[in-house]
Amino acid sequence: MRRYIFRRLLTAVFIILIVVILNFTIIKTAPGDPARLMAGFDNPSEELIQSITEKYGFDQPFYIQIGRYFKSVIRGDLGDSYLYNQPVARLIADRIGPSLLLSGVSIILALIIGSLLGLYAGKNEGKLIDKIFSTISYFLNSMPSFWIGIMLILLLASHFKWLPTQGMVNVRANYTGFRRVLDIATHMILPVITLVSVQIPTYFRITKSAVMQVMAEDFITTLRVAGMKEGAIFRKYVFKNAVLPIINVFSINLAYVVAGSMLVEIVFSWPGIGVLMYRSIMMRDYNVLMGVYLLISVSVVIVTILMDLVNAALDPRIRYE
Amino acid sequence: MLLDIRDLNIVYRMRNKAIYAVNNVNFSLEKGKSLGIIGESGSGKSTLAMAILKMHNLKNTEVTGQIIFEGRDLLALDEKQFKEYRWTRIAAVFQKSMNNLSPVHKIGTHFEDIYRVHEPDISSSEIRERVYALFHMVNLSPRVYTCYPHELSGGMLQRVSIALSLIFHPTLLIMDESTTALDVITQGQILEEIKELEKVVDVTRIMITHDLFVVATACQQILVLYAGDMMEYGDVRDVLNHPMHPYTKALIASFPSLRGEKREVHSIPGTLPDLSVKTRGCAFYDRCRAHREICRQEKPVVCQTGGLHTVCCHLYGKIRETDVKEGVNR
Repeated sequence: MRRYIFRRLLTAVFIILIVVILNFTIIKTAPGDPARLMAGFDNPSEELIQSITEKYGFDQPFYIQIGRYFKSVIRGDLGDSYLYNQPVARLIADRIGPSLLLSGVSIILALIIGSLLGLYAGKNEGKLIDKIFSTISYFLNSMPSFWIGIMLILLLASHFKWLPTQGMVNVRANYTGFRRVLDIATHMILPVITLVSVQIPTYFRITKSAVMQVMAEDFITTLRVAGMKEGAIFRKYVFKNAVLPIINVFSINLAYVVAGSMLVEIVFSWPGIGVLMYRSIMMRDYNVLMGVYLLISVSVVIVTILMDLVNAALDPRIRYE
Repeated sequence: MLLDIRDLNIVYRMRNKAIYAVNNVNFSLEKGKSLGIIGESGSGKSTLAMAILKMHNLKNTEVTGQIIFEGRDLLALDEKQFKEYRWTRIAAVFQKSMNNLSPVHKIGTHFEDIYRVHEPDISSSEIRERVYALFHMVNLSPRVYTCYPHELSGGMLQRVSIALSLIFHPTLLIMDESTTALDVITQGQILEEIKELEKVVDVTRIMITHDLFVVATACQQILVLYAGDMMEYGDVRDVLNHPMHPYTKALIASFPSLRGEKREVHSIPGTLPDLSVKTRGCAFYDRCRAHREICRQEKPVVCQTGGLHTVCCHLYGKIRETDVKEGVNR
């Protein structure tokens, strides 16, 4: 077990290394001159551009740039943002909380709701209730997340004025304590509904098909022939077998928990990593972009290892080899 | 008579069509005589087995006729009454593709759960003791009890399934394609072991298979099904040595012979007829080499040809009668 984790961690470091190199290469080779962007839009002088280029080392050979980047990353220094004039690590640290909150709540809600509906529909396959759920699932699946978000804002916030349209807190009120929690929760309702609706179909479909597949297995027939009650078979045998594919999909989704909701964050002006990433892409804020990508790849790798361990604990066929 | 099946018809009703899966099947099985039911995919073998196990969903399946087991018509029993039979008197082994056991549960869990269906108060140690005895009978080590299915070989899994089916000492055991997923050598071993086992345990076996070898080596009687219709029935030796029905003959010709001279293996041209159409004549008409006009017009009736051996074919019924009358020498 310990050896397994150690080996996995070693591979993880290697993967992150490759990701950093790839990111660096792709971003550096993308068209657009960052020095020109930083210098501003009103016909900057060539001297200014020159001095910026020299200050940030944009004219250095590639291997020196990447070497310098590695050195500082290891020291925990992700560089400064050209745009915000702040350390990238600070920028990320400020925004990771809201992002984790939003994505975390929605991914867990989607997992619970989607798989419960899937279990129910799989058990009652072909019946009216299954058809209703499946139709809704197809509808949700075909709608883009930002569109659902905009529609919800139009309907529930702009038209009925029930819920706030954007942000995480009411900036005018400055609540503290429980009222602050309540305030954040109110602001979360719409983005969470949006994120949950786009994720439900995934869990629904995978759960339903897993249940149907397990129900058709010979061991279920054997238990039925033996006279075991349908409910008991479902709770003990169908569920435990069907839960494995759900865990796998969950782990894939979980890997994107940090930045997977970029579009929805933008629609709701949620102060998270998504908005930060979007702005840095638009403004070619290289250091921020590389910082965010590093964060995403590290979290994907860590989550994958964690979920592999969970999987190994649940499925006897997987061993720590 | 242990099992007497009379005029069994099974129809799957779908929204806009019906599948006539089993038509007018009649046979009886004596205690201790093992029966092999043979036929190609879609011939109704498993449907027939599921009817004996009362596993059909009556909402979309019509089961008519009689399945008389130990003197009682199983079709007349409701689920509550039939529960007394489940696994205690009629048990089954399915293993079409090595998944007769849940991959995420220990072998022992299956035994405990099935024991507790009928004996809810039995203790775990008591179960364990009884299962060890069963394992001994099927040549398994007690260690298997705490294993997961993936830790065992195909043959061992098969032995586990057999042990599982024997926990309440049933009188009738249905094995549905249960050796199909095994390699020939393991299959042979298992079949030998089953025969040995039957000398100790008092159980009558029905084996469903599409493999003539399985029937030839491990069964005493044979029932040949085609498209849900009975073709031939009798003692294995009678039927295999002196097949009467053109389908049985063709089936035997499609298997290579191990002993005896080398000969070409012949497949049967054509496919099963559409099961959603109720045929007026013989189901095998289209593929039969010896068919006559009457075969298309009328369903052949069962002809007793001495002893247990029966065949459903006009060649031995109406055609012979007219031929004899007209002096035709066949």
